[in-house]
Amino acid sequence: MLSVGHRGVLMIVKPAKYSKALQRLLVASMSTGPVQVDIPTSQSQQQTDQLTVMSSPDRPILRMVDKTSLPRSRFSQPVYSWLETLGDIKDEKLGMVELHPDVFATHPRMDILHRCVRWQYLYRKINYDFARTRAEMRGGGRKPWPQKGTGRARHGSIRSPLWHMGGKCHGPRGPYSYYQYLPLKYRALGLKVALTVKHSQGDLHIVDTLEIPTTDPEYLEDLVRYRNWGKSVLLVDMNEEISENVCEASAQLNTINVMPLVGLNVYSMLKHDTLVLTLPCVQKLENKLLYQDNRHSHGAKGTITADRDVFGTWPDK
Amino acid sequence: MAAPFGKFCPRLSSRLSPSFQAERCTTPKVSACLCSQQATSPSAEGVRTDPLKPAQPEFVESREDFKWVERLIPRHQIPPIPEHPNYPTPCGWVPPRDPPPDLPYSVRRSRFCHIPVYQRFRKGGSRKQTVIAHIEGDIWALEKELEEFLPAIIGRNPAIQVNEVARKIVVKGLVMEEVKKWLLEKGF
Repeated sequence: MLSVGHRGVLMIVKPAKYSKALQRLLVASMSTGPVQVDIPTSQSQQQTDQLTVMSSPDRPILRMVDKTSLPRSRFSQPVYSWLETLGDIKDEKLGMVELHPDVFATHPRMDILHRCVRWQYLYRKINYDFARTRAEMRGGGRKPWPQKGTGRARHGSIRSPLWHMGGKCHGPRGPYSYYQYLPLKYRALGLKVALTVKHSQGDLHIVDTLEIPTTDPEYLEDLVRYRNWGKSVLLVDMNEEISENVCEASAQLNTINVMPLVGLNVYSMLKHDTLVLTLPCVQKLENKLLYQDNRHSHGAKGTITADRDVFGTWPDK
Repeated sequence: MAAPFGKFCPRLSSRLSPSFQAERCTTPKVSACLCSQQATSPSAEGVRTDPLKPAQPEFVESREDFKWVERLIPRHQIPPIPEHPNYPTPCGWVPPRDPPPDLPYSVRRSRFCHIPVYQRFRKGGSRKQTVIAHIEGDIWALEKELEEFLPAIIGRNPAIQVNEVARKIVVKGLVMEEVKKWLLEKGF
């Protein structure tokens, strides 16, 4: 594939490095008119095998949503996802999982996702820039030469901002933190929207456990490639005690990461192509996120203890 | 007896370390405070182990009376609304219709089961708006119906803003009560 670079120099570019979207862009940018690009879309190995696997039409719904908590609305109906396993590279669907619409099928609020990602970056940011003023610069106390008579410009100190090596007039002053906290409901809504986005785009997978048969990282890579899960996968388990095989395998891989449910955040969900949740995580997530929709705003003192009463402490026993 | 501790209160002794107490006066000084009266009052048993510490208040354990305490504990989760025999309730509340109305849009109730129509005063109170929130489905269909409904109240072309991102409709003017009643009649 050829690409026209800077100053019209032809560069020969290896096509394998670039994604299909970028290939289309590069080909389109070279041409003068509209381009019909026929890049064959390769079906994943899994999709061809799925026709044989999904032979039976009935798949049992293995996890139902609490009917009393469902909203009374024609437009908010439960959504469904497959329950899968990581035990074998070939995807075996154990059944269906019902998901609450207020958590997995919200209105797609991109602005909230943006704000949550910005918040995650900013709240821990500290700007350490510091510029000394003329008072803080070494020296500069004495008038360098008399006011009149020398023929030179009048100056009061050699560290004034006009001078080389003088102080800075309105420079950055000391460590400055960008600490801020979005409201709790806003952050919860960000998680809900991120889960919705992942589910609706087919990047959310629910598994029974994160147990895999070997510690070999190649097993995970083969599995991800076979199932066409994308370049990066975020595996989320309930507690911090995650099975050893998965921990060791993912430790050797850059793009496949394991996380307890406590650490789930909008930035990580958007950064990784695929999100994999275990089934207990789904229940806990729904409990925690729906609580923010059903609680008093001006809660009593000791809201943390109230949460503990409702949900129990981490890790979930 | 040391000067700063002239009125040595037996109640204070329980907060002081044993070594500190040993340095200071060990005889309980009779003063006019209440705790010393408690200290000198005889208990049911008779002789108390430590005369410096006040007598333990006598109490009766009761599990049935705890309900009076439980009523006062502030709740965090909003409880579900109980079933009433007649609607509207004495305060005027009406539940949403079950099943929901067959319209191209839906207006969900707030967390307290109120119709989500609010008044908004901006620009120092001169800009008066009415906001309809929690709209689902075809928001423009609701806007079209409002365009037919509002001229009778406002008296001219209503200024309506549709916020598709936040799922809200903002109307210029204060029409909260009328819109609430209108949505209630629709069954939301």
